[in-house]
Amino acid sequence: MSFEAKRCGVQFSPPSIVLIYQHKETKHMRKRIIPVRNFSKYSDYSMAAESLKNHPRHRDYLEGVSQSQLEKLHIILRDHMQGFSLEHSLASFRLDPDEDLNQLDDDKLARKKGQMDELFEKNRKHKDDPDFVYDLEMDFTKTTQERCSWDEESDDGF
Amino acid sequence: MAGDAGSIPELDQKKYDSDEQVKIICLGDSAVGKSKLMERFLMDEYRPQQLSTYALTLYKHTAAVGNKTVAIDFWDTAGQERFQSMHPSYYHKAHACIMVFDVQRKITYKNLANWYKELREYRPEIPCCVVANKIDADLKVTQRSFNFGKKQGIPFYFVSAADGTNVVKMFREMITRAVDYKQNPSDFMDEVLQELENFDLEKKEEDSEADEVGLKAEGPESE
Ligand SMILES: Nc1nc2c(ncn2[C@@H]2O[C@H](COP(=O)(O)OP(=O)(O)OP(=O)(O)O)[C@@H](O)[C@H]2O)c(=O)[nH]1
Ligand SMILES: [Mg+2]
Repeated sequence: MSFEAKRCGVQFSPPSIVLIYQHKETKHMRKRIIPVRNFSKYSDYSMAAESLKNHPRHRDYLEGVSQSQLEKLHIILRDHMQGFSLEHSLASFRLDPDEDLNQLDDDKLARKKGQMDELFEKNRKHKDDPDFVYDLEMDFTKTTQERCSWDEESDDGF
Repeated sequence: MAGDAGSIPELDQKKYDSDEQVKIICLGDSAVGKSKLMERFLMDEYRPQQLSTYALTLYKHTAAVGNKTVAIDFWDTAGQERFQSMHPSYYHKAHACIMVFDVQRKITYKNLANWYKELREYRPEIPCCVVANKIDADLKVTQRSFNFGKKQGIPFYFVSAADGTNVVKMFREMITRAVDYKQNPSDFMDEVLQELENFDLEKKEEDSEADEVGLKAEGPESE
């Protein structure tokens, strides 16, 4: 692949995904504006992201951009079409470790999972990676065990 | 509580009475990684069966345990609170339980106490374990000891669905324990309820009620 994705973002009108990438050989930085067509405030962002990722004209440029990243960009576009601000969209992705996610509806939960996916994809070992081990084991019982602060303040019978 | 059990019309839970059929359930808060762990263990072996009304996904797997081949159904549900009413049928006839929390979110660890309490109301004795998922996010957490498992006397695993650490080990050990339990059920409650159930069914026969009613009379603890 001869392009390396550097940054991506959105443009509201016309609705587009903006990609800054580098030409691997020439080292030139380029900007590519990909119009998002047939996407309305009722559209499915995950399907839209998937079809964009597989689009014959764009897929080489988008190889380094994860599905969840593209989903997020589509969510931002859709939120805008529904009249929500950019701040609203960004806040909906933010992970608060103390928030009880069991209370969220499907859409809100999907946003949080989309955010979690970034680290998941980064650390993920794939079946076809050369160093993939199906039954990878690590013994942690020998490493020093400090008491976990999560066990303190045992107000709930822990 | 017996009334609701086994009442997912799409699913026949009677098969779990046979020796070769094992049911293992997975519990834990939203987004702790229950589904990712299943997927990592099974590596898209089969396409799972989805029952979206109940937020239920069934993964089928076969394994050799001792000199026997067993068919395992892994039951995976959503942590979202609105699916709580489904839980009785979820626990029904389960032979083992995997409880998961997210090492990055304390609230999911604290909530284990609630999941465990509910589990034990329905299945007082089935083998269970605690799984600390997402250790890839910060390996330092593995130097800490999380006492919930120890306190309840159940095994504890540090795992990562992302890089695969200890996922297969944990599932294999739970399958073995589920099969062991099935062969030697220690649930006193199970037996008592089984008796009650038989009693119930006999009575039903006399009344010559429809089959359907007999099915609904199954208690959550029947083996
Ligand atoms: N870094 C990291 N992220 C993970 C790991 N496992 C899961 N995740 C992330 O956590 C998110 C939620 O995982 P799921 O498997 O959907 O969680 P779940 O417990 O099935 O959630 P519900 O079905 O909604 O209750 C995923 O989208 C991943 O981004 C892991 O081992 N490491
Ligand atoms: Mg899930």
